[in-house]
Amino acid sequence: MIPLSWYLILSFILIALGAYGMMVKRNLIRILIGAEIMGNGVNIALVAVSIYSPSFSFVGQGLIILVISVAAAHTALAMVLMLMYHRRYGTVDLGTPISLGDNENV
Amino acid sequence: MMQIEVLFEQIEFLAIASIVIILAFLALEHRNIVYAALFFGFMASFVAGIFLLLEAPFIAGMQIAVYTGGISALIIFAVLLIPRAQDSSLETFATPRRRRIGLVISGLVGLLSGGLALVFPWYDTFAPDMPPLELNMELLSQWLWSENVIYVQIAALILLTSIVGAIAILKMDKAERLISIHGEFGIESVEEPIEDEATIEEPSEEVGDE
Repeated sequence: MIPLSWYLILSFILIALGAYGMMVKRNLIRILIGAEIMGNGVNIALVAVSIYSPSFSFVGQGLIILVISVAAAHTALAMVLMLMYHRRYGTVDLGTPISLGDNENV
Repeated sequence: MMQIEVLFEQIEFLAIASIVIILAFLALEHRNIVYAALFFGFMASFVAGIFLLLEAPFIAGMQIAVYTGGISALIIFAVLLIPRAQDSSLETFATPRRRRIGLVISGLVGLLSGGLALVFPWYDTFAPDMPPLELNMELLSQWLWSENVIYVQIAALILLTSIVGAIAILKMDKAERLISIHGEFGIESVEEPIEDEATIEEPSEEVGDE
């Protein structure tokens, strides 16, 4: 039997990798990929803890169904926001200087 | 005999976990962003293998359907819809200093949570009253659609809200061009007719924006 801590360590490695990607990358698409990798790590931890709990219940798996659909929803929204950002500023790079208010280039 | 099965399971887990970590690293670090999106899709399908090892087949199927099928396709769509996003020579990569700071902070996150995973007395085996794998899907659907149907309803509401929100955000600048008039039944809005003809005649630079 695989101990629970193995699954948790895998999920925490994924969370750390995703956090690294979200902090270091400047491209919005790569930041989105980092967020998805973090989400996958959280899913693994949730399912593992719910399966290994002393009395079995389906609450963990039901919660995961909710989490996965929320992930799909936020990815679609993030993609739309990326398109809007690109339409407004002509780039998806976060490092380029932009102004948040209404300016002439809008 | 039992020990060999346990060993085999552990080897299976280690293989899948190392593939997942390598693919996640490649998805973040590959210079070509199309390949990065592809590697993310592969990573999501290997995470489904982890769910199968955890004896949660429905979650594994959902993972493949939503993450591999939906989200990685959405990311590839984003790459294709944004002009020049595929050109990695235009992309600015992080400076070494920023990279080091990110490594340190994410290493701290990993160490903290890894320490929690090792120190806390977690359970070593599956729940003793866990139903057999063949019944898992049947019992899950019974659980989900009887008294806990609120999960499905919340998921449906969230998806509907995100669809409406996405369409509303994309069409927002078109809505800003509408001028409101006071009609017979209160405030109505009409489009400016000249501007629409002008936009049709102009060759648009952005590919596939609408």
